[in-house]
Amino acid sequence: MPNGASSSWPAVWAILRKECRSEWRTRYGLNAALLFAVTSLTAVTFAAGPLPDRTDLLSALLWITLLFAALSSMSHAFVRETESRTLLMLRLVASPTQIALGKLLFNLLFLGVVLAVTVPLFLLLTAAPPVRWGPFALVLGLGSVALAASSTLVGAVIAQSRSRGALFAGVSLPLLLPVLAAGVSGTRAQWDGLPVGADARLLGAYAVALFGASLLLYDHLWED
Amino acid sequence: MSAAAVSVSASGLTHRYGRRATGVEELEFSFEGPGVVAVTGANGSGKSTLLRIVAGVLRASQGDVRLQIQGRDVPRGLRRTRVGLATPELAFYEEFTGRENLEFAAQTHGLDAPRAAAANALSRVGLESRGGDRVAAYSSGMKQRLRLAFALLHSPPVLLLDEPGSHLDDEGRAAVREVVRAERARGLVLIATNDPQEVQLAERSLELVARGLGDPA
Repeated sequence: MPNGASSSWPAVWAILRKECRSEWRTRYGLNAALLFAVTSLTAVTFAAGPLPDRTDLLSALLWITLLFAALSSMSHAFVRETESRTLLMLRLVASPTQIALGKLLFNLLFLGVVLAVTVPLFLLLTAAPPVRWGPFALVLGLGSVALAASSTLVGAVIAQSRSRGALFAGVSLPLLLPVLAAGVSGTRAQWDGLPVGADARLLGAYAVALFGASLLLYDHLWED
Repeated sequence: MSAAAVSVSASGLTHRYGRRATGVEELEFSFEGPGVVAVTGANGSGKSTLLRIVAGVLRASQGDVRLQIQGRDVPRGLRRTRVGLATPELAFYEEFTGRENLEFAAQTHGLDAPRAAAANALSRVGLESRGGDRVAAYSSGMKQRLRLAFALLHSPPVLLLDEPGSHLDDEGRAAVREVVRAERARGLVLIATNDPQEVQLAERSLELVARGLGDPA
């Protein structure tokens, strides 16, 4: 028989592995995310050409590409469970917090893969100026955590509502704006030789706040 | 495993879906295990709703179900560890095999030997030879067997079976009877059904008469 509350991490780990295996077999999210990233970057650079001296445009383009590439899949983490009616099975084997933490870890991993493909492609196609790798990685990393935390939280909240698509956009927008603003600002600052500390602190604090709020909310979700 | 002292009781239990439609209304009962209880009633009388509330995946609008094991209350958030639920609403990951679905469930439950638990559960419902097939290729009867295996996976002292014989052939129905016979000795089994053969498996019954399709409240 299961050992109840003491088995949190094995459950989170099992859900993470299940998500990875499911994504590997269906390629549901990764193909869509990479297709979006590659086509949007190719289209922009084909139309505008290299943009080595426009760090403002480059920063915005990078974050818009990352945001939409990632959201195309991450927003569906819970919706897929609802639509395939597997959410009941999950709820019978794990607590809402365990489920959400497993999904959050998967979303982080997913974002890591999207970043690993998108960023080198972006730097190559746009002929962006050399990056300062420390500040660049810090801003990207903290921004990714904040992105994953917000999309996981919103996905969990809207999973059982009828108009999920419209709700996701409406609820996500105010949550994602601070991430986008700080991400763009920090990325531009590292190209312009300016300090990124303020933007990094904002992204970090925002990610922690979202994560904390999520932990408080998750066990009250899906009460029918 | 010896029989666990199990009791399930409810007082003033009511659940409403939305403003008008009622799932269950002012329900009172108390059952102690080991044994089998048949929950009967017209379509829409709240049989499935009641099982979902007992399993802890649905919060009642008023009142609540009390589940006690060995004299201790099991909080709603932990009921999944002590209850096995097989219901037609239960679906599995179609891109995984039946065995993979059960192994995932066993790992998430925190069982010590997930592979052995999955193999044992598949064997009890006669699905071991097709355990390696993807769920997408399963017939409705095979999916029903998988639901039963899922409910049995963690050897829960309370087994909740919602229309367990639906979609099953004679062999499958025999497997259900065998499971109920084995589980009645070690815990409490609640069967939501209107099938006379399944009702006969129970020594006690609870008839839900509050609402049905003919009285939509």
